[in-house]
Parts: sequence; C-alpha cells; structure tokens
Amino acid sequence: MQRVRTAPPRYWLVAVVVIFFLGFPTVISSFLASEWAQALILAIAIMGLNILVGYSGQLSLGHGAFMAMGAYISAILAHQYKVDYLLTIPIAALTTGVVGFLFGVPALRLSPLYLALATFALAVVSPSIIKRPHELTGGVQGILIAQPDPPPVVGDLFTTVTGTVMTSDQWIYYIALACALLLFWLAWNLSRHRPGRAMRAIRDGEVAAAASGVNVAGYKTLAFGISAFYAGTAGSLFALSTGFISPDTFPVSLSIQLLVGAVIGGLASIPGPLLGAIFAYFLPIGSNQWVPSQTWLPEQITSTVKNAGPAVSYGVVLILIMIFAPNGIVGLIRTGYANLNRRLRGAGDRETGQIPPDPQTV
Amino acid sequence: MQEFLQLVVSGIATGAIFASLALALVLIYNAMGLVNFAQGEMAMFAAFIAYTLINHGMSFWIAFPVTMVLAFGGGILIQRIVIKPVERAPVLTLVIITLGLATLVNGFAGFIWGYVPRYFGSPFSSDSIDLGGVFLNERDLGVIGVSGLVLLAVYLLLQHTTVGLTLRAAAHHPEASRLLGVHVSWMLALGWGLASAVGAVSGMMVAPILLLEPNMMQTIIIYAFAAAVLGGIESPLGAVVGGLVVGVVINLAGAYIPNAGDLQLAFGLGIIILVLILKPNGLFGRAATRRV
Amino acid sequence: MTALLELENVRAGYGPTSVLHGVSLEVPDGSVVSLLGANGAGKTTTLRAITGGVRWTGDIRFAGRSLRRSPTEDIVRRGIAHVPEGRGICTELTVDENLRLGAHLRQDKAEVKKDYARVFEYFPVLKERRRLSASTLSGGEQQMLALARALLMRPRLMLLDEPSLGLAPMVVRSIFEIIRSINRTSKVAVLLVEQNARIALDLSTTTYVLEVGRVAVHGASAELQGDESVRRSYLGY
Repeated sequence: MQRVRTAPPRYWLVAVVVIFFLGFPTVISSFLASEWAQALILAIAIMGLNILVGYSGQLSLGHGAFMAMGAYISAILAHQYKVDYLLTIPIAALTTGVVGFLFGVPALRLSPLYLALATFALAVVSPSIIKRPHELTGGVQGILIAQPDPPPVVGDLFTTVTGTVMTSDQWIYYIALACALLLFWLAWNLSRHRPGRAMRAIRDGEVAAAASGVNVAGYKTLAFGISAFYAGTAGSLFALSTGFISPDTFPVSLSIQLLVGAVIGGLASIPGPLLGAIFAYFLPIGSNQWVPSQTWLPEQITSTVKNAGPAVSYGVVLILIMIFAPNGIVGLIRTGYANLNRRLRGAGDRETGQIPPDPQTV
Repeated sequence: MQEFLQLVVSGIATGAIFASLALALVLIYNAMGLVNFAQGEMAMFAAFIAYTLINHGMSFWIAFPVTMVLAFGGGILIQRIVIKPVERAPVLTLVIITLGLATLVNGFAGFIWGYVPRYFGSPFSSDSIDLGGVFLNERDLGVIGVSGLVLLAVYLLLQHTTVGLTLRAAAHHPEASRLLGVHVSWMLALGWGLASAVGAVSGMMVAPILLLEPNMMQTIIIYAFAAAVLGGIESPLGAVVGGLVVGVVINLAGAYIPNAGDLQLAFGLGIIILVLILKPNGLFGRAATRRV
Repeated sequence: MTALLELENVRAGYGPTSVLHGVSLEVPDGSVVSLLGANGAGKTTTLRAITGGVRWTGDIRFAGRSLRRSPTEDIVRRGIAHVPEGRGICTELTVDENLRLGAHLRQDKAEVKKDYARVFEYFPVLKERRRLSASTLSGGEQQMLALARALLMRPRLMLLDEPSLGLAPMVVRSIFEIIRSINRTSKVAVLLVEQNARIALDLSTTTYVLEVGRVAVHGASAELQGDESVRRSYLGY
C-alpha cells in the first residue's frame, strides 16, 4: 500500500506555534485577544471548508450559512433556554454537521459549477431566511449573548502567570484556541488516514476512485457533513466572541471570505487555513490602519487605499496572489521560489507545449 | 385579468433585465467554462458610467450606446490584464479571481461614487399605454424593447456573421480553431467585451428602477444565475428564455403570495435548486453536469 | 530548389519526455509524402511540431521561411492545413459552419464559390447535411468534412493525421482516391501520416519511416513497396 506523499510533519514547528498561541494573550491587550480569537475561529471555519474543497474537491460558496446556523443554534439555546454556553457548542456543531451531511446528498448530483452557484445562492438568501421566524431568531434585531466570566481556577492561574485579571475576552480566546487545536488535530488525523486518502482520490478523479473501490458518494457527503460541523463550531464560537449576532452578521461576503482564506492559505494543507484566516481577517484591518501609517509610501497611494477601503485592496491582493501564487501561501513555501515561474502559467501546459484535446472533438 | 396581464408584462420587463445579465454569464461560460462572478458588478459600474455621462449633459439615448462601447472596451481590458495571465489555470483559481474582481469593482465604485443611493432618471415616461383595453406601463415596454433589440443584435452577430462564427468556434473548440487560423486569444477577449457590453444593458435598465448604488446588482445576479441555470448554462437562447420565465414567476409570486417581500430572493434560490434536481441540464442545455 | 516544407534535425517532446530525436524530412511542392511508423514512433508529434502544437528545436521551414516562434494560427495562415488526430471537427457547429470556418480567411469570393462546388462534388453527403449539426455525422463523414474544410482553406500543404483511422475499408479507399484527386487537380502538397502503410505507399511519391523518434528508412515509395525486407521490418507486411 502506497504511503501518501505529504510533507513530513514538522512537530517542532507545530509545538512552537501552539506555545506561541498559548502564551500570546498574556502579553497583548484584551481587545487584541478578542481579535485573534476571531481569527482562530475563522481558521476553524476555513479548515472545514478546506476539507470540503481542498480534500474532497467540492466547491462551496455558502459556508457562511453554516456558520450562521451554528451561531444561531448556540445563541438561541443560551439566550432563550438558558443552556450553559459551553454546552451549546458541541450541540450546535453536531446539528450543523448533520444538516451539512444531508445537504451533501443532493449536492452529489450537481456539477462543480452548479454546486458553487447553489451554495452561493444559499449564502445570499440565508439572511432573509433568518429574519423570518423572528420570535425564535430575534429577527432583524438579533440576539445578545452574555459573555461568560472565566472560571475561578483558570482565572487564578492566569493571574499568577501574568499578574493581571483575566478578562472575558481572554477566556473566550482560550476556548477558541482549545477548539481550534482539537479540530486541527482531528483534521490532521483525518487527512493522514483512510478518509483523507479516499477524499483525495475522489478529488483527483472520481471515476478512477470509484473504480478502485472508494465509496465516492459516502465520502463526499461525509466531507460535507464534517465541513459543516467545523463551520457550525466556528459560528457558535463566533457568536460567543462577538456577543451579538443578527442576520447581517453573516452576509455573502463572509462565505467568499472563507473561500478566499482557504485558497490563499493553501488548499489541502493543514497549516493553510490558519494562514488564510490570518490573511482574511487582518488584511481589511491592515489596509485601513497600517498602510496609512507608513510614511514612506507616497500620499496618493495611502489615501487611495484608505478611501477605497478594504474592498479594493482585498480584491487587488486576491487577484495578484491568484496570478502569482495560486497554490496559496503554503504552496509557495512548499515548492519554493524557483518554481514561481512555472505556476505563473498554470498546470504546466504551456511549458510542455502539449495541446490537450478539445473535449468536444470527436 | 387586467392585473394579471400587467404583472406578466412587468415580469417580462424584469425578466429582460435578468436575461441580459444571464446572457453575459452564458457567453463567458461558453468561452471559458467558468461563471464570471464579477458580471453583476461590471454591469453596475457601467450604469455608473452612464450616470456620469448623463450628468454631464449627454442624453440617455446617446449615453446608452457610448456606455456599451466603453463597457466593451472595459471587458476586453479586464480579459487581457486579469484573465489572460491565468488562462490555463484550474477553474477554481479563475473563480476566485472573478470573486476578487467583483470585490475590487464594487469597492472601486464605492470609492468613486460613494454608497449613497442615487436617482437615475428613466428615459421612459411613467405613463401607461392602452393596448386594446389593457393598460401597460410604458416603462416596462421600453425596457422590453431596448433589451430585446440588444439581444436580437447579439443573436444576429453570433449566428450570422463571420466574427460571430469564429467567436463561437474559439469558445467551444479552441484547439481546432487555431488550426483553422482563428486567433483564439483575441476571440476570448472579444467574448469578454461582448459579455460586458450586454451586461451593461442590464445595469442601465435596472438603475432607474432600483436606485443606483454599488450593491445594486447583487440580488439581480442571483436571478441571472437562476435564469442561466434554468435555461441551461451553455445556451444563449436558454439564458433569454430563462430570464423571462424567472422574471414573470417572481413577479407573480410577489403579487399573489402574501408577505413575499424579501423572500422573492429565496424564490430565486428555489428555482435554481428545483431545476437542478429535476432537469440538471436546464431547458436547452446539454450535459452541463460533469464531463467525465 | 528548396522543398515546400523542410524539417531539419527536429527534436521535440512533451515536458521531460522527448519524442523526436532529430527528424529531417522534405515535402516538395505539389507532392505527396507519407510518414509511417509504429504507434509512438512520433508521427503525430512531427505534424504537431510543424503547426506549433509542440515545442521543438532544430528548424522547420515552410516556403523558405522558418516557422520558429510563430503561433499556430499564424502558421496555418501561411498556407498549411492540418487535419489532426481525431479530425478536429467543431461538433457544436453545423456542417456548413465548419466549412465556413475553413474559408473564413479568404478574400477571393469567386474562388471560394468554386471551391465549395468542388467540395460538394467530392463529398455530396456534406451538401445534403449542410444545415445539420456536425455531431450527427458518422466517422467517415466527419473525415470528409475535415478534408473538405481543409480544402476550403486552399492550402499549399495539407497535413493529414491518420485519415483512415476507424473507417471501413471501402470508405478509406474512396477518401484516398479523393486525396489523390485533390493533389493532382489543385496541386496541394500532402504530408500523410498513416498506420495503413499499404495505402499510404500507394498514394505517395516519397516515404519516410519513423522509428522511436528517428527516420529509420526513407526513399521513393515505389521502391519501398517492392523491398520485402523493409516492408517486413518496418511496415509489418
């Protein structure tokens, strides 16, 4: 049986990253902790999307809707039924996962393009759908979520280490971090064992995979389910982190942001979603704050960037990265600068000069 | 009965708008096998250009063709600068690029014109015309007429001219076309230009109805997708028919179903999903599902 | 006098795989030259190199001018019609539209009309099926369409890649008769790649036999036809 050729796990690097994130909130402000918590939460959602797109090859432009589902389930349980918030996270995640799995069944029949369109439409429509049952969801006004205080044990530990009192935001950061670590570890295991292999086989060629005995339908729907599970977790955590959700919290642009993060970080990789999340979350903020403060840039550039807002810079950076590094940051790092030129032309076709046959040519 | 007819005609007018944008989507899909998610934003941008021209004293009927020409040029430019470098990249990369383009164009429009909705005067009067006892809105008829003319012109171009023939050949059979001396690369650029010009019509027809602002086309494009899917993503005729059907259906739904409001959009989604379940190839399409 | 088409020490391949290892051949103006060899010998690659579908080194000259650095569509516009493996029929278009594509570059309307007449004389079935989608044609009819389309380009040289492939023997015979007739009447040179060595030798004046990317044998077709050892070793009969 052939070993899957992946990069050898660099355990030391993982350890460094984990320690970094563990210790991080002790040195930064509470507000920054909240921001980084959201970046981690985004990373969880992107990892879920990555499993779907990168590993099983199905495209979804509507994962924001799954996040919304997770968020609302948690919020409603906590707010209306007074369930302890931490308990609502797995409930929301599992429910969303099941729904995702069910969604995966009709999705089997759609070509990649139509799947993209259907999920895109889902993302556009979901805010309207959420508004409807307004007794349950709070309609346009949304739901407020009370942010829990850190439990005494943890709080004391934190104070001993840093000398300051732990805030809600910092506690929430650690919750998010714990979930992220767990789910990333889960994804890593998944990718190394049979499910991962099966999904990659499906992604690379369904017919061949089926011919090799892979249960294509089963794994594809499973991928949908798992990926929705992740998105649901992320949504639930997101509600906790921001303290308030409404139909407008989950617009189409969120779904697009998730996909963009997945691709830019690097599909079918484990570190990719984290890098992609950091990019997706901090770029809009950076372009608004960081760029104008760089005095060495000419005035015209900074003012254009500042006024045009995140949208333009986002779009430009996105396009540039797709042209020059379509395998994402991880891809760039993995294959090295020497190969940059080859990727510039895509799939190596032009380099070899080989003409692929027209699909319609008899 | 009168009301029903009015709704149908109104629906056809709305549908004509969807049809124009859907046609633009189909043109690019045929050329490149991908859906241009930026099509709506490009149409919006064109509408803003028309708005600016009109504000500088140009009459609507001059600004209209001028904007179409500018949109044509813009489409070619975008293809040359943004798409061509990644021509042979996998579809996912191209999809992301169109998404990036959409964000970029939207932001750019916001940057130039801001997000406050503007009033875009309609070139048609708001009177009603009496057609054999049925009163039809002149505005609706105008939209139908103008869109119809443009769509007809595109049809004639594609089916009955040599340029149209080489465009179609380059879109569906790039390698074979090269061997026949067709400059496939230029044809792709032309396709983008044409799609952009047709999409611009959609934008200019919508602006008087919806109020001109950067996010104007975001719901329209969903309906355009529904129309393209309904008609069969590869079929230009399907796009037009699909657009008209979607327009009529949601108009009727909006009137006869109580409290429809913003659920009309969900209706659009419903159409997409229903079609994909019942007849995945759409009305006129062919093997739009995976080619193994 | 320089030949119409000259290949000089051409090497070509796909990525890391090299297929042609120095092929030299000539197609004189107005003549029929056949290129034979087993599967994988490089026959198709040779044709692709000529029309720019594959990167090559060495030199390829058409009417004295090198084809290096020219994109496919420009090479074709110089007067080379290439009917590829699989025929390259535009199945999304009608028969008539396929034909029009062949003629679309030409300015001489009167001559185009004459060529249409001639094409319909050779292939009456195409006239019958003008308005139908090209995808409705049978294999043999598609081959005819491909040839007709190439003819309408009024090329100086036709590259034919395995025109007999998948066709019934009777159809093959009639198509080759037409190719012979085309060559005689319109003075179009033909570089014919074939697996059916017998019929290719019959049609052509000169023959090159490729083996693993090199020219193993070449000479007058008539002589090769008579040479039993060559036929046994290289042509399989």
